[in-house]
Amino acid sequence: MTLAITIGIMVAGGVYLMLQRGMVRIVLGLLLVGHAVNLLIMSAGGVFRRDQPLVGSGTTPFMADPLPQAFVLTAIVIAFSIAIYMLTLAASGSDDDTEDAS
Amino acid sequence: MVLLLLLIVLAVTVASTPLLNRYLGRDSGWPIAAVFLALTVLVALQAPQVLGAGTPLEFSRPWMPQIGVEFSLRMDGIGWLFTMLVTGIGSLIMAYSTRYFPSGPRLGFYFLMSLFAFAMTGLVLADDIVLLFVFWELTTIASFYLIGLSGPSASRPAIRTFLLTAMGGLALLGAVVLLVVRTGTTSLSEILADTSWTGDTVFVSVVALLVIVAVFTKSAQFPFHYWLPDAMAASTPVSAYLHAAAMVKAGIYLAMRFTPAFGDVLLWNVVLITAGLITALMGAIFALQQTDLKRLAAFSTVSQLGLLVAVIGVGTPAALVAAAVHTVAHALFKSALFMVVGLVDIRTGTRDLRRLGGLRHRMPVTATVATLSALSMAGIPPLLGFISKENLFESFLHAPGPGWFGPLAGVVAVGASVFTFAYSFRFVYRTFFGTSRSEEGSREAAATEAGSGFWLPAVIASFGGLLLGLTVPALDPMVDEVAFNATHQAADAHLLLWHGFNAALFMSMAAIGIGALVSWRLRVGDTVAGRDLIPFTGVNVFEAIHSGIIRLGRRTGDLTRSDSPAFHLGAPTVLIVALAAVVAVFGLDLPSPAGQTTMGLDWVLVGLMAVAVLAATITRSRMAGLTLVGVAGFTVALWLFFLGAFDVALTQFLVEILTVVVAVLVLRRLPRRFHPVKAGRKALTAVIAIAAGLSAGVAAYAMTGRRELSAVAEYMLEHAPADTGGTNVVNTILVDYRALDTFGELVVLGVAGLIIIAVLRSSDLLPVHASRQVVVSTDNAAYPAADNTVLMRTVGRYLMPLLVVWSLYLLFRGHNEPGGGFIAGLVGGSAFALLYLAAPSDARARIRLAYPAIIGAGVVVAAFSGFLGFVDGSFLKPLHAEIPLAWGDYFHFTTAFVFDVGVYLAVIGVLLTALNELGLERGTPPGRSGTTTAPSKDEGDDEESAPAVESDATVLNGSTSGGKR
Repeated sequence: MTLAITIGIMVAGGVYLMLQRGMVRIVLGLLLVGHAVNLLIMSAGGVFRRDQPLVGSGTTPFMADPLPQAFVLTAIVIAFSIAIYMLTLAASGSDDDTEDAS
Repeated sequence: MVLLLLLIVLAVTVASTPLLNRYLGRDSGWPIAAVFLALTVLVALQAPQVLGAGTPLEFSRPWMPQIGVEFSLRMDGIGWLFTMLVTGIGSLIMAYSTRYFPSGPRLGFYFLMSLFAFAMTGLVLADDIVLLFVFWELTTIASFYLIGLSGPSASRPAIRTFLLTAMGGLALLGAVVLLVVRTGTTSLSEILADTSWTGDTVFVSVVALLVIVAVFTKSAQFPFHYWLPDAMAASTPVSAYLHAAAMVKAGIYLAMRFTPAFGDVLLWNVVLITAGLITALMGAIFALQQTDLKRLAAFSTVSQLGLLVAVIGVGTPAALVAAAVHTVAHALFKSALFMVVGLVDIRTGTRDLRRLGGLRHRMPVTATVATLSALSMAGIPPLLGFISKENLFESFLHAPGPGWFGPLAGVVAVGASVFTFAYSFRFVYRTFFGTSRSEEGSREAAATEAGSGFWLPAVIASFGGLLLGLTVPALDPMVDEVAFNATHQAADAHLLLWHGFNAALFMSMAAIGIGALVSWRLRVGDTVAGRDLIPFTGVNVFEAIHSGIIRLGRRTGDLTRSDSPAFHLGAPTVLIVALAAVVAVFGLDLPSPAGQTTMGLDWVLVGLMAVAVLAATITRSRMAGLTLVGVAGFTVALWLFFLGAFDVALTQFLVEILTVVVAVLVLRRLPRRFHPVKAGRKALTAVIAIAAGLSAGVAAYAMTGRRELSAVAEYMLEHAPADTGGTNVVNTILVDYRALDTFGELVVLGVAGLIIIAVLRSSDLLPVHASRQVVVSTDNAAYPAADNTVLMRTVGRYLMPLLVVWSLYLLFRGHNEPGGGFIAGLVGGSAFALLYLAAPSDARARIRLAYPAIIGAGVVVAAFSGFLGFVDGSFLKPLHAEIPLAWGDYFHFTTAFVFDVGVYLAVIGVLLTALNELGLERGTPPGRSGTTTAPSKDEGDDEESAPAVESDATVLNGSTSGGKR
């Protein structure tokens, strides 16, 4: 439940930022939504199992699902590369405003 | 084998046109004509078997056996007739073309004409319905290019013709799909012999309508007739072949071919007869109105095709006999007439009937050809056209349907023939008789007869009509076989010039007599020529529909055409929320949570996140926004720790740090504050955002964590050490179980780095924003950058090697303990970031490593380890080896580690790219300016937004290079 609340908060904040003006705020919003989705994937693995999936000395009943962790790990790095690409776009060409001055 | 030989010879002809053209130019037509003539003889030699014995030639090879499509060819009577026309008339036209064109290369023309002949032959021989469709489309494409060859003015007509006939092709495709699905076979002869679908009235009507659309578009029937006159933009040999003998006959062929299935369907009969006769009458009237010789011939073709379509619609054996004879007659006289048009056009320089006249003295051969052909067209004995028209009239009288339908059809057909006589007369009389209407000394008045090579093909075609008229019983076996193939009933035809006094003869006489009267009353058509009988033309209608469709598309596009990202991002969000609302209303049947999902400490993270996110949404400062989102990111990392994902948490921490470093490099180029947003929009977006957050939260709670460990996870936890030799399951998934995914992501990462470089090469970075420029005087303690960074540099000097070593350690141990390529790469990247932060100026911080090469090396190394996997069977399959160590232990080496090295290199390369590219003062290409001079001094003079720089003060630009605000 706590993780779900966290996800809700992040999505709300991220969506709000994405719908404002300016590339930078869109990037920030996207980062938040990206984090939220990563947590959602983690949540799909089952929040009640929280032991590290290191099986050097056998498995335990509360060992976390490793598959979402692997997904999220690569997702973080991909999100990072996309974020820096979008930031590059924001800082090149002209101002990062996404709308005509109103 | 004869059938395959036909197609192979034609294909070789197509392929050899470039060579022929190179050495022969326009004379390429001679060898091609010879080949076509040889093929005609070859086909004619098959007559005893195909027509005499009634056994079709067949050939079949598997083509796409998975879906049951075969490359099967079949030549029955119908196929024989049309193959003869395609190769025979083709041979005449090819010979004619050698003199029609001025000397010079004609590659496009000969290539496309041979291609067209190939496609037509394939079409009429195909016994697989898919193959038939392929050849059908090939004729469409070839005709498009042939019309388009005539230059820019022909481009619209070519496009109109293409779109229209392509529409017919789509209809045919629909029919093909329906038939194949219904009958379960693609064999055309089997489909047509199958009576299981012909009894289903609805199905058969739908298929019949689709085939009708295909026939009508290809054979220029009302209301699709206008493309044919439009296509007269093509050169005359093209028109003579495509628009008289070949392409338009494809529709006729299709109608004949499908007659076994549709001949008894009343819808087919009625639509074909009605539309055909309307086309025949209308085409004939329009033809009489033309002043351009070629357009006259075009409308006359439309009219004649109308008669053919209508008589096929009658569907009786006698009607099919009439159709077969008229197909031959029309191919002969119309190709001859088009060749006459070309002769007159080339010799006199005009096709305008108002300027021509009296040519019979100066072009006697052409005049003879024209007269013979026109007589055949007008239905005058003893030419073939007379016999075919007699048969047409006779057949119409026996049309199916109500009792009055046949006689009415006969009357309309006679009406069309009246005008046929009139325009035939106009064609010949206005061109060759009377006196010339051109001024003395003009080119028209001085025209003389062409050389024999030019007129010979036309002579052959027109005399063919006369010869066949005189020896018409010779056609009996052919027409019998065609009628039998089409109706499955014996026709037992006895074609004769003189049938005695019967209805058809009186109808012919009426047509000729009234035709002569009309010609006289309308002064050979001059009184109606050029007048608009109806207020619009087919071309206008087409263009209106065409632009209307495009306008409609644009309107549809307008609904979402906006430059505002907020709109594009908002719309799907709202839609997802709406979906969530719908689901919420109907409710879901959910299992209860599988365990304790809430721990006490979690609430700290929830609180931290709430504060960070709320503050991030409220703040108007960019820097604060970035920081607060960073706080949210760290909170996520803590969450990941709590969830037992140490690897992921470490990655998240490092990524957060590096994101902030990179973002700061960008933010200093932008204003301090975000752009203002109106209060109303804030409220609206807040509502959307809260709804989205609520949906996401509820969905996350309702739909996750309600099951036990997945089977996949269980397997991996059980078997990872044995399968991969690693105990860090997450890492084994990354580099072993799902290494291909990781490889893909690695490439994405590398591409992102390269894109950043590409973007900044094509458009420069913004200069540092004016609001972030600080002027510091030289005596201020903040001025000397070197002094101010001494602490960081000293620490960095020791920390940097440590970080590099640590990153390598993480890389090595990743397979068993938290670590791995991603984390190690990020740690290594942090080392470079530290170097960057500690440097006293942007220029000094430049890391002179070839970072694109590092990215590339990463991808190559990873790919290399993947190829190593082929040794043991598949891409990216890790190989294992136990390497003995000096002290007796074994080191477990796996190529998965090599893969991880690739990951490590790519991550470092991308980080170096971001730091170097974004850290520069301007988008100065690295390596261009030396590292000894600061870019700010290089370009400070032309920096418009920067305040004036004094020599004793320097502009510190809010960068990370220390000593600023």
